[in-house]
Amino acid sequence: MSGVVRAEIGSFRYAAAGVDALSGLAVDISAGSLTGIVGAAGSGKSTLGAVLAGLLPRGSRGPAPGGGHDDDRLSGRLGLDGQQVVFDADHAPRIDVAAWARRVGMLPQDARHYLSGVRATVREELAFSLENAGTPRSRMLAAVESVAGELGIAHLLDASPERLSGGQERLVAIAALAVADPGAVVLDEPLAGLDADARAEVDGLISRLRERGTAVVVMSHAFDELVTRARTVHVLSGGRAAASGAPSEVRGAAEECGVLVGTGAPAPVPAGPAAGEALLEFERVRLRYPSAAAPAVDGLSLHADAGTCAALLGPNGSGKTTVLKAAAGLLRPEGGRLRVEEPGLLLQNPADQLFERTVEREVGFGLRGGRRNPAVAEVLGRLGLAGVAGTHPYELPASQRRLVALASVLVRRPRVLLLDEPTVALDAGGRRHLVDAIRYALETGAAVLLSTHDEPFAAAVAHRTTRLERAAPNGP
Amino acid sequence: MSHPLTLPAADQTRRGRGRLLTALGIVLLAGTYAALVATQPAGLVDGIGQGVALATFGAYLAAALLLLAAALPQLPPAALTLIPIALALNIVLGQFVGSVMIPLYLDSIGTVLVGFLAGRRAGAATGILGTLVWSLFNPTVLPFAAGAALVGFLAGTAARIGAVRRVYLAPVAGLVAGVLAGVVSAPVAAFVFGGTAGVGTGALVGAFRAMGDSLLGAVTKQALLSDPGDKAIVFLVVALLVYALPARLTSRFDFVRRHRVLGRRAAG
Amino acid sequence: MLSAARLHPFTPLAVAAAVVTTTTALGTWWVSLAVVLGCLALAAAAGVLARLAVASLAILAPAWGSQLIIHGLAGRAGEHVIAAAGPLRVTSEGLETAAGLGARLAVLVVAGLLCALLVDTHDLVAAVDSSPAPPQVGYLVAATLSLLPQLAARQRAIGEAQTLRGARAGRGPSGWWTRLRLRAVPLVLSSVHDAADRAPHLAARGFPPRSRVTRLRRVPDSTAQRRVRRLALAAAVVGPVAVLGVPVLLPAGGA
Repeated sequence: MSGVVRAEIGSFRYAAAGVDALSGLAVDISAGSLTGIVGAAGSGKSTLGAVLAGLLPRGSRGPAPGGGHDDDRLSGRLGLDGQQVVFDADHAPRIDVAAWARRVGMLPQDARHYLSGVRATVREELAFSLENAGTPRSRMLAAVESVAGELGIAHLLDASPERLSGGQERLVAIAALAVADPGAVVLDEPLAGLDADARAEVDGLISRLRERGTAVVVMSHAFDELVTRARTVHVLSGGRAAASGAPSEVRGAAEECGVLVGTGAPAPVPAGPAAGEALLEFERVRLRYPSAAAPAVDGLSLHADAGTCAALLGPNGSGKTTVLKAAAGLLRPEGGRLRVEEPGLLLQNPADQLFERTVEREVGFGLRGGRRNPAVAEVLGRLGLAGVAGTHPYELPASQRRLVALASVLVRRPRVLLLDEPTVALDAGGRRHLVDAIRYALETGAAVLLSTHDEPFAAAVAHRTTRLERAAPNGP
Repeated sequence: MSHPLTLPAADQTRRGRGRLLTALGIVLLAGTYAALVATQPAGLVDGIGQGVALATFGAYLAAALLLLAAALPQLPPAALTLIPIALALNIVLGQFVGSVMIPLYLDSIGTVLVGFLAGRRAGAATGILGTLVWSLFNPTVLPFAAGAALVGFLAGTAARIGAVRRVYLAPVAGLVAGVLAGVVSAPVAAFVFGGTAGVGTGALVGAFRAMGDSLLGAVTKQALLSDPGDKAIVFLVVALLVYALPARLTSRFDFVRRHRVLGRRAAG
Repeated sequence: MLSAARLHPFTPLAVAAAVVTTTTALGTWWVSLAVVLGCLALAAAAGVLARLAVASLAILAPAWGSQLIIHGLAGRAGEHVIAAAGPLRVTSEGLETAAGLGARLAVLVVAGLLCALLVDTHDLVAAVDSSPAPPQVGYLVAATLSLLPQLAARQRAIGEAQTLRGARAGRGPSGWWTRLRLRAVPLVLSSVHDAADRAPHLAARGFPPRSRVTRLRRVPDSTAQRRVRRLALAAAVVGPVAVLGVPVLLPAGGA
């Protein structure tokens, strides 16, 4: 089998960065193969993926007028389909990103960043690249229909891209990559944050993609079902290859480098000493968003007692987030009774609340004394963030950014800790800190209510589970 | 099919065409403005002259479209994804500010943001496109596109010459932008609409008129009273917002790196 | 009778342009009124009358107020003084001017908004893409329109998040500033980040294109509509020239 992509990377450094993001890596991807690249958050996976896909180094339009050379710097050679592109200090060719993408496509962590967001239907979205290349309409139609048929997403063609679920967005984005018929695709965390059904769908689509002869490179922070089937797995740590080989050979090295191996379920968390008093009670509660026709949740009864953890399980769209928002006081119940004492909620998307210039200012916001409040340093220490207290939250990898958001909730010592999908985006280290935080909250007499689709995790940390079913599909 | 994977060095042909269109747009705008100021004939004092209204509307809109056609083909993808965000921010933040009852427009936050991060061409394009999009909700804004372009262009110019390297310089640049944009837009308010968009500004114009000013004079004075202050605050707010962004993010914009818009900020 | 779904988006726009320029050139109040009523009737036929009326009044009411003050109350021209107080003079000529300007504005607003309500934005973008305009125009307009609801939703989520962490802002200018910071910083931060993340993938999908783009979407059109558009565009230019030119030419020709 011939190599589709062959990369030898001496070093790569982002513009204006002080250290190399990648160094001393060699990746060889043969036709139709499945390759895994694993590592903890911030290990350089996404950077490597972007280099393979020709998205890095970003070409500038000539040297800066002041003479300062301030661009991404890559030294190494990339081979694609028999063409060699050599990068070194004196020679920095500008990549034709669109031409490169026809050979190696890349799905970013957030599939919405790949989708154009400007088309009315999935069919048109799939045709976007072809439209830009000026392909005649009849050929576009044929190409889109055949890709959608072969990858099994023909039923989505007439849907509006804005109404897709998270899993469907990934299916559509991968199909859009496949329309150009590239020799290889790089998928950054294709399974992260999906429930079991959606994972299976994405996994199935990737298998069908490989049947078409496309080589697949998967980036993951977990040793998941895709990585274990890979021919070769590269373990990244600090931008270097810590190990390479068959999945079984590198499993141990991966675990050492902070990759989540196995189900990632922690040791069971015991109930706190003060177990008993109910701090949160739902009694036949009905919740409905102001604009919605039907209630999102109806007749829900549950309680969370001091020193215990309750888990909400159920597929995406079953109303888990709605329940947590109601518990936090953001949504008033339409019927039933809801009682809660001093809640604190960790939202799914930390980007909604981070706005300070440093982690410690963020966590100390609104507290007496701000970042100098002793509680700030204490919480940051417990979550392993002491070393990044002065960093901008947005410069942290996703896993640590999520922990910053958690810290800003914990620092207020809520009596009811509400966590919405807390494991999403966390690497192995982040999960350990999360479990420690839950244990600490229980020991200090707080109650925890969390939503998750990670059942092994819920089984280990929760003392009671409530399962929500997907509401019957109905109007807008 | 062996399509090359790398690009040749930047080509100059598009630049020449862009310069020509820019020059045409500026000549049209300046010519219309000069003609309106110079010929304020007696019959026009009350601003209802239909021919003048149509000619002003048409010339200002055409000038803006020429400038847009000049700017767009040269924008890099980083500017193309930033501009829609900026336009939506103009509207969303404009509404927020309106809802707290402070008499400022601040509807150019996004335009100035693009000027600071992606340069004058992108800034000017944002101003014009913002007007085109907003005209779907309010058709009367169409001829103000040229003024909005000027704000974006001047924001980019300010960033380029280093007026954003110190936060306190930004409002000074905003003041200048407000004066120029106010002066350029005044003929539209005066000759196309014979008034302003709101009762408060209308009362101000009425007061100047009662004191004996011509319509254009009164509208220009009103614009000079409100626009520079508004733009100074917008420039200041956007400068503070840009400094709230992590260096790693701002350094992803070629323009910021090339012209050291934010001074010597190192990325982590 | 009015099936907006069959219309090429440029057809109503071209007709509206012709109507607005010609009506403006005429400057006759009853013609303007008739045009506005006609637009309202079309809106009623298309089922968008209420939306058109509300949106138009929201723009027109303050602008009419402004015109009334400037020309009706503080106008300097006119002999027939109806009332006067200090520098303020209400003259019948001034009121007439204000009414004329108000009618002209109403035509532009009502006709323009009617187009915006009738035209399908996806069709409009596809039509712009297929026109000689730079392909960036269509993308940027479409992206903005699809981002607006997303950003508004994110703005609400940010408001919720800040409420949750007990972020309170005081009153007065410092409270306003804190509120703006609490809302604007996370919004700008996350959206600029999004924009920067999207950029390389947009380039990977071949945008901006180097040659003319094609579109999978088919925009409804017909020979009749193409003719109407050509006529309307010609009328948009010839109409006002004829209206404004004829009175000038007539005495000259008669002399």
